[in-house]
Amino acid sequence: MLRLVVLLVLAAFCAAEEGRSHCCSAEDRNIVQKQWKVLWKDTESSKVKAGFARLIMLKLIEAKPEAKALFTNVDIDHPLGGTFTAHCLRIINALDMAINLLDNQDALDSALDHLAEQHHARAGVKKEYFKAFADIMSDALPRLLDDYNYMSWRSCFKGLYAKITSKLDA
Amino acid sequence: MKILIVLAALAAFVAVTSASGCDKLQRLKVKSQWSRAYSSGHDREDFSQAIWRAIFAQVPDARALFKRVGGDDTTSADFVAHSMRVLAGLDILIALLDQPEALQAELSHLQKQHDARHIPDNYFEAFRLALGHVLPAQLGRCWDKTAWSDCFDVVAKGIKGH
Repeated sequence: MLRLVVLLVLAAFCAAEEGRSHCCSAEDRNIVQKQWKVLWKDTESSKVKAGFARLIMLKLIEAKPEAKALFTNVDIDHPLGGTFTAHCLRIINALDMAINLLDNQDALDSALDHLAEQHHARAGVKKEYFKAFADIMSDALPRLLDDYNYMSWRSCFKGLYAKITSKLDA
Repeated sequence: MKILIVLAALAAFVAVTSASGCDKLQRLKVKSQWSRAYSSGHDREDFSQAIWRAIFAQVPDARALFKRVGGDDTTSADFVAHSMRVLAGLDILIALLDQPEALQAELSHLQKQHDARHIPDNYFEAFRLALGHVLPAQLGRCWDKTAWSDCFDVVAKGIKGH
């Protein structure tokens, strides 16, 4: 009897869960987390991470030159300098935080909400920049990660980008 | 000429690092120990829970600073998110311990974020002590107390601005 109740509750829970997360399933999240972790194994990984984020950001302003002005105060004119390097690490660490919170949906929502606020506060940030960022990222990640499951990453990141950009006006 | 400049910069770096007691080797050690302790996924959430509970146990008044981010309940979604942000910031600082220019940039960034909040020095001390207990619990024997204490001072001084 108890077993039946547990099963029923489980089934109900899964059904409720299904609606919001079937696009980024538990297995998708596992895969993304496992494949992403490879980047962080080495003590010197900060240089790889900063370098990777720097490339993404430079490609972004190549694709959207008008976005460059948004990064003036983090000294994008000197991409190898300390100020921009630190900023690159902030970006990639925000991604890292989101990926590591993938299986704690409520905390993830709160974290993404905070990121949405931070980007909303920067006048001139547009959704299309995030679209470009996402495209560049999904091109670049498989080149960096030997194991890269396109479908899992795509389904999980779709939700992340949607939430980060949810407070932008344009 | 260029070599001279590099040498001078290096000498200045060594002078700064040895004066603070967080030398190059200690920085490398802290970096590698941190990357093991920081871990990932649920382990990281538990790690951060342990740190924050240890902080609030020492300075219960500090909770008031975190009211907006769910500080009343360290297991709340808002607070988990917040504590992961803080650790992500600390992760950047530790990762940059051997890149002085970028480290300085990140410290100034964090200093600006903390300035308006008027955080008393003893809260930073509580953070240091919390790390001092949770890190060895996480890492076991392979943990160098002096290196962590010295390098945490560099980080805390940078954020406090004094």
